[in-house]
Amino acid sequence: MGDVILDNVTKRYADVTAVDDMNLDIHDGEFVTLVGPSGCGKSTTLETIAGLTIPSEGTITIAGVDVTTRPPKDRDIAMVFQNIALFPHMDVHDNMSFGLRLRDYASDEIDRRVASAADILQIEDLLDRMPDELSGGQRQRVAIGRAIVREPAVFLMDEPLANLDAKLRVHMRTELQRLHKELETTIIYVTHDQAEAMTMSDRIAVMNEGHLQQIAPPLVCYDQPANLFVAGFIGSPSMNFVDGTVRATEIETEGFDVEFDPSYVDELGEGDEVTVGIRPEDVYPAEDAGELANPTRPIRARTDVLEPMGDEIFVYIILRGEDASDTDADTGAAGAASAHGVDELLMSVEPDSTLTDDEDLEVVLDREKVHLFDTASGDAVSHDIVHSGSVGEQRSAWEGG
Amino acid sequence: MRDILSTLIPRLGRSGTDSDRSDAETSERPASDRSVDGDVSAGDPAVRADGGVTDQRRSTPGRVIDAVDDRFGSDFVESLPFWGPPFLLMGLFVYGAIVWNLLISLTDFTNFGSPDYSDLDFEMYTRALSDSGVISATANTFILTIAFTVATLVVGLCLAILIDRGIRFENTFRTIYLLPMSLSFVVTAQFWLWMYNVNNGILNIAIGVFGAGPIDWIGNPSVVLWAVVLALLWQFSGYAMVVYLAGLRAIPTEHYEAAQVDGASTLKMYWRVIIPQLKGATISAAVVLMVFALKAFDFLYSLVSGYRPPNGADILATKMVRESYGNLNWAYGAAIAIILFALALAIIGPYLVYEYRRGHL
Repeated sequence: MGDVILDNVTKRYADVTAVDDMNLDIHDGEFVTLVGPSGCGKSTTLETIAGLTIPSEGTITIAGVDVTTRPPKDRDIAMVFQNIALFPHMDVHDNMSFGLRLRDYASDEIDRRVASAADILQIEDLLDRMPDELSGGQRQRVAIGRAIVREPAVFLMDEPLANLDAKLRVHMRTELQRLHKELETTIIYVTHDQAEAMTMSDRIAVMNEGHLQQIAPPLVCYDQPANLFVAGFIGSPSMNFVDGTVRATEIETEGFDVEFDPSYVDELGEGDEVTVGIRPEDVYPAEDAGELANPTRPIRARTDVLEPMGDEIFVYIILRGEDASDTDADTGAAGAASAHGVDELLMSVEPDSTLTDDEDLEVVLDREKVHLFDTASGDAVSHDIVHSGSVGEQRSAWEGG
Repeated sequence: MRDILSTLIPRLGRSGTDSDRSDAETSERPASDRSVDGDVSAGDPAVRADGGVTDQRRSTPGRVIDAVDDRFGSDFVESLPFWGPPFLLMGLFVYGAIVWNLLISLTDFTNFGSPDYSDLDFEMYTRALSDSGVISATANTFILTIAFTVATLVVGLCLAILIDRGIRFENTFRTIYLLPMSLSFVVTAQFWLWMYNVNNGILNIAIGVFGAGPIDWIGNPSVVLWAVVLALLWQFSGYAMVVYLAGLRAIPTEHYEAAQVDGASTLKMYWRVIIPQLKGATISAAVVLMVFALKAFDFLYSLVSGYRPPNGADILATKMVRESYGNLNWAYGAAIAIILFALALAIIGPYLVYEYRRGHL
């Protein structure tokens, strides 16, 4: 019974609109992540759900009850805060049971709930410690335990892992997923870390400048981003973007041309300005392109910097233009271009690759994975320029199946 | 600083051994000291090699200094010029004076002349214990200290919480409340003397509006002590407010939010979550306030422009000065001073122990 509905929620402060006309429909038991850069309104959205902020407009419904103007304590929610916010003058048991004691629960019921939460979080032997005697990870568990004992309809988590070190963060990520599986309670989670959003969520709500950009399962956000912002924000390293123009049989960019039939996509016609997006893993060295069904023509390039990650290598490549035939004369020009960062692509290759710095090579793009965005509006117009159809058709294909 | 040290050290009789010594000890002395002790660089392997035999060539003063340094820390002698003078001044004029006062309190010194140190006993203390004036002054001191401290803390806390709620003109209010703190006791005493005036003081006029009074604030022995507490409260609640405000500002917003989400009403939130976290602020403010209460002498002195405070407001400090300078009972006054000192120590002592345990001292 933990469904949360935000209907046209807007929060205005004196000189800025933090959240603008937000509509969310979160189902019972769902793990939804609000993600976006700092200042995008994701925390404000969470605060309006928590009741710590009253929205300027719109309504919030939790478990079928309109709670828009109710105080936090009457909303059947529990919240985990970024800086953990354990009360330093209470031991772990008292911290966890604080909400229950305020609500005058019987002491054996309190003990039962604390014990069961402590068991889930494996903090049974920490119950009589003070917060300052705990490590960061233990404090975080206690903070989550404080939320669990309340047995709320919805958990709200505001960047709960942001203060942990990188290794612990990855560990707690898994723990939270396990917890969600066990409790099957709705979780609304705020983070600026797209990796956290990708790994944990049932659905991701990407926000920017107070607007909801896209809400969809992680892989849909990744494979079919609704616009340039989502495409650039989701995925690390981020998608390559190149400005281009639609021609009769191709999309022309400064560094390369991609074969394309504009009639595939209703919204596009000759002469339209588009942004071509391609993820690093969809750029291949030409000699490895054998398996690709629909590669582009080889694009002449030169490697710049290599970043070995262990399981893959990120290669920065400088495009040299398809027409460049005189290699000797052209080297200087390519060098100059790279100095301005013009037409640089990021490519991800297998770790056994023999590529080195400053090596000439040819690359191809997987045309099935080329995204097209309307440069003016930023909206996606196509996620596959081979089989194509417009974004709308592709999306209905996903929703249907 | 280095220059002073390098001129001092040869005078201490160790110039001949400096370079040897620095080599022998470079490994255990902090790098910053090396340039002070000598001109040989630490990295010179040729000199370093004979480091093991240097001690046998040391001059006697050098060895004494080393021994002292070993005992009290590596820079004990070198840093002497810096902490020595204040140490001497404090030792002589504060702690020395306390000891001297203790000695005088054991004599029978009265009137003019010199104290006779040959016959020391506790006569003055037994006399104080049976003196109803001292006993009532002690009681008044306690009442004043505790009532004033508690009232000031409570008022200061309330003001701090109100100001911390994000009200308008916050800084203005903060300044207004803190301002009385900057006044001297003498000024406060004059203000309140006028306000407490039986016939035309503003307080009596004010309560007269409601048909009450007039109250003889200063003249009535059972009221005067509370009148004093009120005036001091007015002067110091701003200080308590500032200390509490700093404590409140150190509590993260999330604690308020967490308490709200957990279901606490505003009152319960402050009572169970916020105020317990102000323990540190309470203790430090309380110690300062109690010390001020113990030395409320200047306030009472200015209230009547004399050693004899209004009936019912005599505290140990006024009694002490009156006995000494009014009645020339030097030894008796000294004994009262020691009693007051012991009381102050009983307040400060536990605080010092508390701070020491927490590692702040």
